[in-house]
Formats: sequence, structure tokens, C-alpha cells
Amino acid sequence: MKIGIIMLRHPPIRISPVMPEVVRLLSEWGATVETIYPEEQLTELGEVRVANDLYILKSGTELALSLAGALHAAGAPLLNPYPTAAMMRDKIVATRILQASGVPTPETYVTAHPNHLATLIDDGPLVLKPYRGSEGRGVHVVWDADELDDVRTNAGPVFAQRYHKPEGRDHKLYCIGEQVFGVKRIWPAKTYEEKLGEPITITPELREIALCCGRAFGLELFGLDVIVSDGRPFVVDISSFPGFKGVPDAALRLADYIYAAAQRVVEGEPLLPSTGKGVSA
Amino acid sequence: MKALVIGPGRIGCGFVGQLLRASGMKVVFAARTPALADHLNRVGQYRVRLVNGREMREITVDGVRAVPTSEFELVVEEIAKVDLIAIAVGANNLPDIAPLIAAGLRRRSTPLNVIAFENMADAGTYLRCLVTSRLPADYPIAQHGFSGALVSRAVTERLGDLSKDEPLVFVGDPPATFVVDGMGLRPPLPVIEGMLVTDNFSAWMLRKLYTFSAGHATAAYLAYLKGYHFIHTAIHDPEIRAAVLSAMSEGQRALAARYGPAVAGDESDLLEIISRFENAALNDPVARVGRDPQRKLGAEDRLVGAARLAEAVGVCPEKLALAAAAALCFDNPDDPSAAELQYEIEKDGVGPALNRISGLDMRSGVGRSIADTRNRLARGWHHGNLLLSLDRLLWTWTV
Repeated sequence: MKIGIIMLRHPPIRISPVMPEVVRLLSEWGATVETIYPEEQLTELGEVRVANDLYILKSGTELALSLAGALHAAGAPLLNPYPTAAMMRDKIVATRILQASGVPTPETYVTAHPNHLATLIDDGPLVLKPYRGSEGRGVHVVWDADELDDVRTNAGPVFAQRYHKPEGRDHKLYCIGEQVFGVKRIWPAKTYEEKLGEPITITPELREIALCCGRAFGLELFGLDVIVSDGRPFVVDISSFPGFKGVPDAALRLADYIYAAAQRVVEGEPLLPSTGKGVSA
Repeated sequence: MKALVIGPGRIGCGFVGQLLRASGMKVVFAARTPALADHLNRVGQYRVRLVNGREMREITVDGVRAVPTSEFELVVEEIAKVDLIAIAVGANNLPDIAPLIAAGLRRRSTPLNVIAFENMADAGTYLRCLVTSRLPADYPIAQHGFSGALVSRAVTERLGDLSKDEPLVFVGDPPATFVVDGMGLRPPLPVIEGMLVTDNFSAWMLRKLYTFSAGHATAAYLAYLKGYHFIHTAIHDPEIRAAVLSAMSEGQRALAARYGPAVAGDESDLLEIISRFENAALNDPVARVGRDPQRKLGAEDRLVGAARLAEAVGVCPEKLALAAAAALCFDNPDDPSAAELQYEIEKDGVGPALNRISGLDMRSGVGRSIADTRNRLARGWHHGNLLLSLDRLLWTWTV
């Protein structure tokens, strides 16, 4: 069983123990794990070959996504398929897919010119996000139309969502297969402890929202940011293969899931198991 | 010395045949599948791959041949000539091979030992009865030995294609010992590598059932509640690992009180079992290990049996009761036994269902403990829900 994981090496000060532990467990269980760091190597595109039974795109960099695309084009099975990962990277596409699937999202607007948003602010503040951003970077709330003058437009389309005042801490929902885990976390989380948050028992409604998102994208390994405002949940972000921080035994659960997926590939079965069957709970 | 192995399956080839060849015996297999007999005759050898974590060693078992059981006369001739018969056909198939053995014995003038590697408490007695019923009343059956054997190795896979000329590969873990019921054997005793002869076979059966099997089942049912797919994964979960070790310890302490420490073993034996559960090469899916919860909750079986014995000797079977309660939550729709159990629990309640399966009195002792634990789990348990923490009974979502 050979598994290739496309990763990004974090600086030593950033604590991210989950993936190293996943790699260690998979190796201990007899899998040959190739960790691929696209930023640390020169890749000759013509030499990109399918050398593993299964690939996993963990890194969120543009180069990693493109390399995953190249592997996809070469016929590589990816646990988080390239087309889905690419769609999820673009908040405009991802949000529309969620809306079309009935997932509750804030009102969402896109434009090339921030000033087009001015009249919307009369009805309340907006949250502006880089349309290909992640991990909360560059997200800010615009309370006044004057602030739109400061919005940079050279970073591509402007993505804006209606601001809903959250009740309490944000919810992170993490999905591994059909397993949905909830973590409560302050936003923005700065320290590692704050990022770990606190595992919580979620409501059936939140669970169903998470599973609905998975069905919308045909994905089993992803994370959601949810805020609850006036008792209503809103999905404000979705990401392929997040850090799973705060999920109890996250590395073990991920390794278990990846091992099962790789085994299915090796045995010629579909990469994603049929839903609602078996004892995968 | 020459041995006939009836049943060249995973245990027959991957354990019995290998040890017999290592002991210097000539080995002939009797195979129900003609293509398998043909393959063994054509290739003349197979391999046993013993895997433990990342360590792997392969043993070539050569100089073997086979006869198909459909060639009744050929098998009978072999039985007439061999010095030992080893059987690994599955307990349910023993009646099918009794006529073969009976016919072969009638051709013999010398005693013969027949060992059934079926992990079955009364395999020797049962097989002797089956064979005797097919012999004339005056046949001197007492001259032959019929015994059961307890296999330590797990052989999980057979790799290879019967249509090709490459040796088959049997994949298992390293243990290479087996315990034989000495009461059933007749002299001269066979000399086989790894064989331990005991006069207290039933106690050794219980040792395996109440430690290894109890731990295996505990791991499977708790893994199900926590959402793991494999035993080798679940055993890395600190809560499950602690519970498995405790459940096996409860069983072991009960065995020690009843049969003495020599039979029960010590903590090092339990840690060795844990290390076997960690062996991913065995590829034990939770769904397979947890299969048939009704049987595994039987009065004498690994969980309830061990818990009853523990209770009887003054050991509190807390984790065995937890495992039994988790078994009552095992809701695998692909498993008819599990589906039937869930239906019965829904219809009649936990108490009547557990009472029917295990005969336990729900008002006291082990029965009450299991029912109470199941009821605590039931507050959060629902198909598809997961336990995040066994200790805190924290679930992923509210029902």
C-alpha cells in the first residue's frame, strides 16, 4: 500500500502535530508513505507520474493544488479529488454550490468594484474575504461604506457576505467520512490552545448541514466554519482537509480513514464507500 | 513420519502444514477444492508469510502434495498409511469428513492420532463420536486418539492464483505454538514443533476465550462506538487500549482464581496480546471481529462467560460488562445477528433480549451491570453517532 501526501512544511514555531502522527501511524501499519513538499523541490511536469496507490492533498498552497491537478490529469486517485479541492478553494464557486444544495449561508455578493457594495451596507455590515483565502487571513468586517475605499482590488474579485453577529464562540465542524465532529473556538484563534478549542456535542441540525455539504461536493474529508446567529446556523467557510484541531484522537481517526480508503483502492473498490452502509458509524 | 492434513486452508497450510514440515514430517493435504489439490501437486510448495508490524519473514513449505477429497479411495489409502491426521476444516464441516476417516481407519492395523485444529472445547470427543457412528459396533476405536488443538496463530489471508504456477502465500502472525488435549491422544505421541500437551484442555480453551477473545471483542465493540474501522487502529486509542487491557485482566484474574496462575498467565501475556492487536498486517476489520454479537454474548462465551466467572471468584467485571453493553449497541446492518438483536432490543427492551441470549438475571450481578451500562450508553447512542470519550460519555451529536 503506497500513499503520497502533498504537504506544506510549517515553521517550527507553528504546532501542527496531526499530520506527522498520521504519517507515523500509516507507516507503522505497513503503508509506504511518500511525503511530497512541492515548495521544496523542482518538479519537471513531464516526469509527474502516478507512483502511489492513493494521493492526499493536504497542503493549501497554489502550487500544491496545481500539482494535485497534474496528478489528477495523470490518473492518480486523490482522496480529496482535485476538481473538488479546486472548487472549494474558490469561495465564489464553493458558496454557490452550498447555496444550491440548501446549505444555509449568509447573503453573498461578488463584484470587481468594492463601491458596488456601498448600498448593501445600509442594511448592515458585510464581511469581506479574499476569494481564495484560507485560515481567516484577510477577513475583515466592513461597518461603514467609507471603509470600502480602502479595499484592495488587485487581489481579484471582491467576496462579501452579510455579517451575522455570532452567539458565543464559532463552531468548527470536521468531517471524516460520515463522522462529524464539532469544536467550539474563539475567533480569531491566536494561540495553539485557542485553535484547539473545545470538542462539543453538536445538534442533529448541524450534523445534517455538515453531511449535506459533503454530499454537495462529493467529499468526505473537509471542515466547515459555522456561526449561529439568532438561533440560526450559517456556514461561512468550507475547506478541504483542514487541520482537525480539537477533534479527539484526530490523527488516529484520519489514519484509520486513510488506511481504509487506500485499502479500497488497492483492492479495486471505489475510493469513496457507499453511504449509509457498514459499521463505519 | 507422514501426516495427512485434511483442509489446506489458512490454518491447514498457514499453521499446521508449516509446523509439521518443520518437524520433519512428510505432508499430504486432502483438499475439498480439486483446483487447490491440483495446484499443490503442480507447484509442490507454498509460502507462509509471518508479519508483525513492519517485520516480515517468509517460510517456504516444500515437498507437499495433495489428494482431492472427491477421490474417496485415494484419501482412504492415505489414512491407512499415515502416522498422524491433522484436521482444519472448520468445526461445522467435521461431520462431512467423518466417513472418510472411518473408512481409512478400517484399513489400518495400527493406532493413529487425529488432531482437530478447530479451537473447539470438545473437538476430540465430538470427532470420535462422529467417526465411531460410522464404524461397526465391535471396531476397536479406543486404540485411536482423537484430540482437539488450540491454535495461537491468526492466518488472515491466502494470496495467489490457483491457475498459475506461483506458490500460494498464506499471511499470518508469528505465534507458532498450539495446545493439544492430551487426554484424547494415544501413544506414541507425535513430536511436533510448538506442541504443548495438556490434561486440562478446557482450561486452556477458556484462557484463550477469556483473555484473547474477550480483548478482541472488547476492542471491536468499543471501536464501533468510537467509529474506528480496524482493530489495529482502535488499540491505539488510549481509552480503548486501557479498557481492553482491563477486560482481559478481569478474565485473567478470574482464570487464575479458578485454574491457577500457570493456566491464567500473567500481565506479559496480556501485553503480548495487545501487541498482536496492533498488527495491521492481520487487517482485522471491526465489522468482522464484532460479527455475530448474539453468539459472542452467550452465557459461556468471551464476554458474559468471563464476566460470570469473574463475578463468581470475587473479581469485579467492570470492563467486561462495558464491552458486553457495547456489543448490545453493535448495529451493523450487514450482520444478521446484530440486526436481529437490535430489532429485539427495540421490541422487547435490553433486559429480555440479553436474558434470552445469555440467560443472565437482569436484577443483579453481571446482568444488572451490563443492562445499566447499556442504558447509560443508550442516552447518546444512535446509529451513526460516535463516542468521543468513553470516560465522559461525550457523543458527537445529540439524539
